[in-house]
Amino acid sequence: MARVGAISRHDMEVRRYPFLVYGLVPLAALVLQAWLPRVVGRYAWFDLPLVVTVYFALGRRSPIQGTIMGAVLGLFEDALTGNAIGINGIAKTVCGFLAASVGIRVDVENSAIRIMLNFALSLLSSAIYLFVYRFLLGMSLEWSWMTQLYIAIGNSILAFFVFPLLDRLKLRD
Amino acid sequence: MESFFARYRNYLVLLTILVAQMIGLAVQVRRTGAGRSSLGMQDGEGVRLIRLWANTLVSPPERFVHSSRMLVAGLWQNYFDLRHTRAENQQLQQTIDRLRLEQAALLEDARQGQRLEGLMGFQQKYLYGTQAAQIFGTGGSNLSRVLYIDKGSADKLERDMAVITPDGIVGKVREVLGRHSAQVLAINDQNSGAGVILETTRIRGILRGNADGRLQIVDLLADKRIQPGEKVLTAGGDQIFPRGLPVGEVEKVVNDPDRDGFIKIMVRPAAHLDRLDEVLVITSMQPRFSPQEQNDLATSEALKGAEAASLDEQRKASTIMAERLPGLTDPNAPPKPVDPNAPQPSLLVVAPAKPLKPIHPDRFSPGAAPAAQASAPAGDKPKAQAEKASSPTSRATNQADSDAGAQPAPGSPDSEPKPQRHP
Repeated sequence: MARVGAISRHDMEVRRYPFLVYGLVPLAALVLQAWLPRVVGRYAWFDLPLVVTVYFALGRRSPIQGTIMGAVLGLFEDALTGNAIGINGIAKTVCGFLAASVGIRVDVENSAIRIMLNFALSLLSSAIYLFVYRFLLGMSLEWSWMTQLYIAIGNSILAFFVFPLLDRLKLRD
Repeated sequence: MESFFARYRNYLVLLTILVAQMIGLAVQVRRTGAGRSSLGMQDGEGVRLIRLWANTLVSPPERFVHSSRMLVAGLWQNYFDLRHTRAENQQLQQTIDRLRLEQAALLEDARQGQRLEGLMGFQQKYLYGTQAAQIFGTGGSNLSRVLYIDKGSADKLERDMAVITPDGIVGKVREVLGRHSAQVLAINDQNSGAGVILETTRIRGILRGNADGRLQIVDLLADKRIQPGEKVLTAGGDQIFPRGLPVGEVEKVVNDPDRDGFIKIMVRPAAHLDRLDEVLVITSMQPRFSPQEQNDLATSEALKGAEAASLDEQRKASTIMAERLPGLTDPNAPPKPVDPNAPQPSLLVVAPAKPLKPIHPDRFSPGAAPAAQASAPAGDKPKAQAEKASSPTSRATNQADSDAGAQPAPGSPDSEPKPQRHP
């Protein structure tokens, strides 16, 4: 059973990765996020940069690193779209910070917690996006919460398969 | 103070990054005259730079992935999955031949129509200059529908050029990011807009995407004539898409939840926006024919000449057959005698039409009244006639006319037939 709030030495262990992983994995996430919609069409209900942000934030357990990772990936994601640069950046910055903050307090090895965290942070990211777009910038935007729900589910499923793969990349002591 | 920064370091970093991004957003968004916020029509230099960086970073691996996939797909399709290819090839070749002839005929009609419109001074735009491009990536977001194509400034692409497929319109060039890269804003994006017209009802509207990436025509008053299945075409008023290109067809009509009396038309796109591989960018609207079209035109003219020659041959053959076959005229019958006095048809002169001689001529008959009398005023006419009757000169003249066989004046005493006395 997951031990929520556990502060054992194992849980507090900070994961370390080869230097290239910090560059290549986010880049691969951006590339696949831009390319996969051509393959799956309108069913591209996932946000790989967010999944990667949550993964590194949870693994590194550093709110600053999670914040920076989220900001960079969000800004690049915005730059690839036609929208204003910074909307996804703000959303993923907050998500990265929160994921790292939560990662300090919960057992991130547990798959159920990972999936639930991805689901919740995906919906939060969508809510922040909507808030920034509509209320902070005052621009009109048609919104479908159902689509965002699908994306959250997609991210959770993706996390279930991607997190164990990325775990293999971490450095062993 | 140092302990404050150390204690709240995480929050300070978060706050700094958030504030920096908000300032960046505030720079990009502009207030319109109507009091609403919107993104500028063109990115600023800083924003464009960030987009270029992102594109430079992401495009090469994206192209590599795309090329790898195409290579594998090509290997499979060209070398392994070749069943029924020969039969399909023959069938397609026949179709190409037929379509080429049809196209040549249509080009001829187009050329004629173009000439007529030129005469009328009608400013019609034609889409003859196109550039084929391949899509290698997307924006990767459900809230922004953009595509990336492998043609850029080296191919003379510019902003706001229309992007189409043979099936229908796709979008417009939003930004040229490099020599071989450009960003296309798809028509199902929320920020996109295209002027469209319904084919049958001729109702005009603005087409844009919704949150689900579906096409809709918005800001329309309710109209019962609009039915599902009706075709939607570009209206040509947006200065981007030429008029008359297929857009899609009406899928359903729904009420606008935000405004009473208004409707939204959901449109099923003609182009497969989710599964696009190749597109055409309209680079020039000037009317001109490509070398291929010129060849087709020449083929068409040659075919027309051959058709005319064939018709001549048929006519000659039918003449020969008519001579050989028994007909209504007997070739063995003696020739008809020719009348030497009969005028030759070519020498006949058509006589000018002459009025018939009246049975009971009067003074109004043609040639009866002299010009002087005819021109006399109405009130002076009886007097003039009396003077004429009493004048010896006029009597002599009348007599001379009578002797000469001239037409007697109608109504005059000389014109009356005199009874002959028998001894």
